[in-house]
Amino acid sequence: MIESGIRLENVGVRLGDTDVLRDVCVELNARTIAVIGENGSGKSTFARLVGGLLPRTTGQLRVLGLDPARRAAELRRRIAVVFSNPDAQIIMPTVAEDIAFSLRSDKLRPAELQARVETAMERFGLTHLAQRASHDLSGGQKQLLALCGAFIRNPELVIADEPTAYLDARNARIVANHLLDGTDHRLVLVTHDLTLAARCDQAVLFADGGLAAIGKPAEVIERYEAVLRC
Amino acid sequence: MLTLYKPGTGWLHRMPAGPKLLLILAVVLAVSLLPARWTSVPVAACVAFLGYLVAGLGPGMMPLHELGRQLYALRWIIGITLVSQVIFIGFEPAVANTTRVIAAIVLAALLALSTRVTALLDAIERGLRPFERLGLDSQRVALLLTVTISTIPVLGRRAAEVRDAQRARGARNNPRTFIIPFLIVALKHADELGDALTARGVR
Repeated sequence: MIESGIRLENVGVRLGDTDVLRDVCVELNARTIAVIGENGSGKSTFARLVGGLLPRTTGQLRVLGLDPARRAAELRRRIAVVFSNPDAQIIMPTVAEDIAFSLRSDKLRPAELQARVETAMERFGLTHLAQRASHDLSGGQKQLLALCGAFIRNPELVIADEPTAYLDARNARIVANHLLDGTDHRLVLVTHDLTLAARCDQAVLFADGGLAAIGKPAEVIERYEAVLRC
Repeated sequence: MLTLYKPGTGWLHRMPAGPKLLLILAVVLAVSLLPARWTSVPVAACVAFLGYLVAGLGPGMMPLHELGRQLYALRWIIGITLVSQVIFIGFEPAVANTTRVIAAIVLAALLALSTRVTALLDAIERGLRPFERLGLDSQRVALLLTVTISTIPVLGRRAAEVRDAQRARGARNNPRTFIIPFLIVALKHADELGDALTARGVR
């Protein structure tokens, strides 16, 4: 059994009277995985499911070898989730404090905490904004802050749900580079930006709550575009 | 409102958050308990004035400038408190009460000006720890305070967006048409925030 990937066996999610995800069977082991599809196709539900934010109704699910329903706390230590709306991810009033918040449960010594925060801010180009009010930042800076808060915990798997949706081209590129570059984390990237999807190692296409295609990004994107042309 | 903290090196900045919270709480309580008489007016005003002078907020006129900034921010509260009380309880108690309330608020602001939110929350968490035996989750209370503070500006911005959207569609400012969409975006924000907290390892 591969412990580092994502495995779904006949997974379904029902919200109210609606099946938002139906009978999904897939094993994903690539380092970067793009999840594409139309609005309401089940992409975000898949991301929330894998991120342990939504329980499955049926089937079996393993993320990094763990069942999110049974070992949620352990899984949360090993994964990070980034959302499209950075406002909802900011908890603390200043940039440095918000980044430090991600390590709050680790109970680090103040000097170690500060060193980790400074290193993370440097990596994401936020050092000059350390004392700025988090909610007064621009959209791009807020999303970088959200990424910084996610990456400071050195996650093995990052799940990003349309992280560039509210950003201009420049900021979208910076955020995408942080997510896609580097080799120390795996990535599940839910996106409508097909150029971003093309940069991933593997792509998954969702349609009507089910898996419609899986494979090399170029092939899956071509299939998606064929559907869009109909 | 959210980021009142101003970096500094004065004694109040260096003081640990827990004792500082207790000290300021004691001074604020003392000012609040002054009688509603003319004699309380100079006493409350002097305590607030001296509080800013000795707090070591910065060089020269900076502490007084900060006090002025705080008072300007409270101008509407001063006006409403004073006028409403003059009408109902007379001039002397109105002036005394308003001075006490404003002095208490600006003194309490010294805590926010000289303490990072993180340090304050850690102090509150530590202070509440003995009550864990009675079933109180100190970490959760501290987190609740943090989330409440951080949500205020976000909801303020969301409210402005709802008003802008209504204006763009030609609607006048009307509380009835504002409340429902605002409630929906507020609840949506609460959902997103819950997910974000879970994703950041908070129970």
